Amino acid sequence: MSIFTLLIIPLIGSVITFLMTSTRRMEFVYLLTAVASCFGAVWIAMEVATQGHTSWMDGFLYADSLSALLVLLTAFVYLATAPYAIGYLRHDDRYAEKDQIFFQSNDPRTLRAKLRRYYALAPLFAFCMFLVAVSSNLGVMWVAIEGTTLASIFLVTFYARPTSLEAAWKYAILGGVGLSMALFGTVLTYYAAHQVIAGDSLSALNWPVLVTKAAQFDKSAMRLSFILVLLGFGTKAGLAPMHTWKPDAYSEAPVPVAILMATAQLNCAVYALARFYVLTSRSVGTTFASDLLVLFGLLSIGIAVPFILVQRNHRRLLAYSSIEHAGIMVLSLGFGGVLGPLGMLLHMTFHSVTKPLLFFCAGNAQQHMGNDSLRRETGGLLHILPVSASMFLLAALAVTGTPPFSMFQSEFTVLRAGFAAQNTVASVLLVVFIVAIFGGFFHHISQLVFGPKPEVPRGDSSRWKTYPVIGLAAVVLILGVWLPAPLNALITDAAHILEVRP
Amino acid sequence: MSFWQDPLVGDKIITLMAAMVLVLQIMMVAMRGIVTSIRAFGLQSFLLACIGLTIAHFNHAPHIYIAAFMMLVLKAIALPLILEYLVNRIEVRQEIEPLVNVPISIITAGLLTLLAYVVAASFHRPEVHTGPAALGHNMLAVAISVFLIGFFTMLNRRKALAQVLAMLCLENGILLAAISLTYGMPLIVEVGVFFDVLVAALLLAILIFQIRETFDSTDVSRLSRLRG
Repeated sequence: MSIFTLLIIPLIGSVITFLMTSTRRMEFVYLLTAVASCFGAVWIAMEVATQGHTSWMDGFLYADSLSALLVLLTAFVYLATAPYAIGYLRHDDRYAEKDQIFFQSNDPRTLRAKLRRYYALAPLFAFCMFLVAVSSNLGVMWVAIEGTTLASIFLVTFYARPTSLEAAWKYAILGGVGLSMALFGTVLTYYAAHQVIAGDSLSALNWPVLVTKAAQFDKSAMRLSFILVLLGFGTKAGLAPMHTWKPDAYSEAPVPVAILMATAQLNCAVYALARFYVLTSRSVGTTFASDLLVLFGLLSIGIAVPFILVQRNHRRLLAYSSIEHAGIMVLSLGFGGVLGPLGMLLHMTFHSVTKPLLFFCAGNAQQHMGNDSLRRETGGLLHILPVSASMFLLAALAVTGTPPFSMFQSEFTVLRAGFAAQNTVASVLLVVFIVAIFGGFFHHISQLVFGPKPEVPRGDSSRWKTYPVIGLAAVVLILGVWLPAPLNALITDAAHILEVRP
Repeated sequence: MSFWQDPLVGDKIITLMAAMVLVLQIMMVAMRGIVTSIRAFGLQSFLLACIGLTIAHFNHAPHIYIAAFMMLVLKAIALPLILEYLVNRIEVRQEIEPLVNVPISIITAGLLTLLAYVVAASFHRPEVHTGPAALGHNMLAVAISVFLIGFFTMLNRRKALAQVLAMLCLENGILLAAISLTYGMPLIVEVGVFFDVLVAALLLAILIFQIRETFDSTDVSRLSRLRG
């Protein structure tokens, strides 16, 4: 029942918004939907914590602690972006004429249609991500992940600039091809399972059923399936070398959409990959899948390094950072053992909390300055946007894994997993890459934040855009020193699900 | 057992139609007109629907009738019509201008087919004579070939519409694998997949339309402003 509630809330919110005409009411419904989804997510997490798992419709929709964690993170990001999105879009609306933000038309009716598009599609996007988490059937999970792409294509083209069309095209085509590979992989998994699990065909794709029988699956089918799934969901997660859509889409989409894509959607893709990883490892042994994950993970982190060092545009900088973090999660999963999955889930959790803060500040800076370039003459943000600029610095330190913040803990866990797996080369490379990325990030952000006072009036005026920044910064700081016991238990439980013994 | 109920006859018919699917896919690599390509895609989808019907009949898997019917309505009729409408509406020159010339493209397609057979060889099980496993190795090879050639065709096309068409063909390969290897995915999954494919095609069509309005062309190699 809790699963049904969680899924129906954003769906209703989306439909109601679609029928509305007043912008204020759309904002209200959007906010209400986000808060209600958050309650739904907590409800699921509580049921999972007390009963171990929860299901609906004979196990067709099913949540264990791993699903519950993903649901919680998605709901958290959705809730955190909701008030910010309202402030962000009001700013766009108000300055549309002056800044020429929208490419073709600035008359009020088109603007309202645009806002309705955002407020109706964003809950639909959230709905698809919730469905990814709670579908036990791998086929339905694929459908839901494809749904996240479909729901977000026209959020990327929100500004209707030629460049946003370009970004949306790359996103749609690369995402489409990637997901068709993942579908092929799913079909092959079904083929492998089908021969072992006779009888009812629907349950032959249910993960909890599959995982108990995985050892008997056809091994060549599972190997081929994992390669296809890795390429497919890897495209969605933005692993190198299939990452090229990411910087374009993240820098062209409105900031709240970019946040949902960079955290929640990324988590969904990594989650799907992890589910297939467990099946493959149980079928063909751990080394095959692990080696592939380590390779792709390291490649993604490595590719992010040069692009971060020479980046001239802070929204693209964040996109490369997201490629790096996707790489770290996958690498950690590949290290395996007890610590590998734990490191991945911790990193996923902390990344989902920290990344939105960075995007909030980048969005505030971009809206106030009118551009997102990182050149020397755009410095001095501290003088004109004191709150956002100082939090920008804090978030940059947090996201690169500096000690007082939580992401240091998770990256440290990943490293421990690497050494425990006796994969010294990969671990050392990870350290080198992380240090280089820290240097690049710190250089760029400090140049943006400090510097002489520019000829721009002081900002930080809108409450909707500052309070989420302060609130989220508080959460980031608290998580650095204190991880609530129930959350910790949930993460540990979820890590056990992903643990594969050789 | 009468002729029309013998599963071995069904297997032969299926193999024949799968071969035609592969031939069509290779032909599409060489085609010059975009409208001909769309019709070839429609024919390919129709053959897939027929394969579905054959399997449903000979192997008594009634839920494949529904999948085959959806395939027929959506991929063999609706999508070709939508695509042709779009071509007539927006393309001034209805020719595909491939990046690699035709002879090399066809040789590449042949090599990809060879590769697919090598990959599928590990699925070969001579000891099994009935059911999906007997068909498996051959069908999987055809499915992988269609998939890989579709992938190559996508890379080989400049125009947005031709790329989308290649993507739809690539998906036909996957659907062939789904129908023939396992006698269909669970129905709910199949319905979901078809729904997604249809919505994706519609959204891409809208996007192509917008690209055409903004850039006065559907040549996607011109979409290269975002870099770094």
